[in-house]
Amino acid sequence: MKNNYLRESSSALNRFKTEVYINKRKEMDEDQELIIQSKKGKMKAFQKLVEKYKRTAFFIALGLVGNRDDAYDLSQEAFIRVYTGMGKFNPRYKFFSWFYAILSNLCKNHLRSRQVKENYLKNRGADADANNREKTPLAPDVMLEKDEMSKRLWEEIQKLPYEFKEIIILKHFQGFPYKRISEMLNIPMGTVMSRLYYARKKLKENLKDILN
Amino acid sequence: MKCEEIKPYLMAYLDGEIEHEKKLEIEKHLTECENCRKEYQSFVKLKEVTDKMKLADLSDQLWAGYWKGIYRRIERGAGWMFLSIGAIILLAFGAYQFFKEFLADPNISLIIKVGVSTLSLGIIILLVSIIRERLFLFKTSRYREVER
Repeated sequence: MKNNYLRESSSALNRFKTEVYINKRKEMDEDQELIIQSKKGKMKAFQKLVEKYKRTAFFIALGLVGNRDDAYDLSQEAFIRVYTGMGKFNPRYKFFSWFYAILSNLCKNHLRSRQVKENYLKNRGADADANNREKTPLAPDVMLEKDEMSKRLWEEIQKLPYEFKEIIILKHFQGFPYKRISEMLNIPMGTVMSRLYYARKKLKENLKDILN
Repeated sequence: MKCEEIKPYLMAYLDGEIEHEKKLEIEKHLTECENCRKEYQSFVKLKEVTDKMKLADLSDQLWAGYWKGIYRRIERGAGWMFLSIGAIILLAFGAYQFFKEFLADPNISLIIKVGVSTLSLGIIILLVSIIRERLFLFKTSRYREVER
């Protein structure tokens, strides 16, 4: 009886694994096909690729830069860079991992420029707040629930170092499995786990007054 | 397993991404170690809070314009590229024709030809140098996006 149960569970697990593998393969093949078609100049294929990933791209950028207008522009810019740099794409790799590297670089540069701009304005004694009110990561329209807890959480996530913020966004807001995060960030699974540990620990410490 | 070794695996345990054997090891450790158990519980609390937080979606109008925005920018980029290439070809051809006729003209004295040629060469070198410097400054300037 127990053996039968174990056999059934194991075959169900294998079936599940095969299904996951087939779906992944299908997604990869579909993306590769769209890229091949886009390389040939077929804009419809590129449009399909954009439509497929635009929401994910926007919400990742939103998490990383904290502002809807900037996230909209940066995610669009990432797609444009994909189009112009399509020749560099190696079809052996997953499209989205490549796309993410481009998007993440754009967001990182954007944050760096924003920081430099803020420092510059501060050094000049100007009212940095007034100049950056539009760019603040606490823009209220970002969240669906506008309660105090969500606001505070968003604020603390935005204050995290880039590597920590990135992994929190990918895990918590995109719900990507570790394997996918590891491919996207090009880091081993062990690093994904430890980085997530330290990121959550830091976030937890910063939120201890409201978590307790 | 020591506490330090178990910490990263607490994440995999929390997110349900752990192998069965490791899961048993962690569960055993959590029953034995109060510090790790407390820490794990605080991570559970954090996860509950983050799971509750949802980001607001964009309006349908903005999503509808998303692809159009990308297409427009690609189209304009291509337009500028062709325009620049065409302008460079025409300018280079014009310069070539001018110098060919000017230098081949026997009525113009050699000293003028040498003078105009070196002057033109100087202008070209200076132009290239300025363009290169500007491009380099644009790429490396930390303040390039600062509005003055």
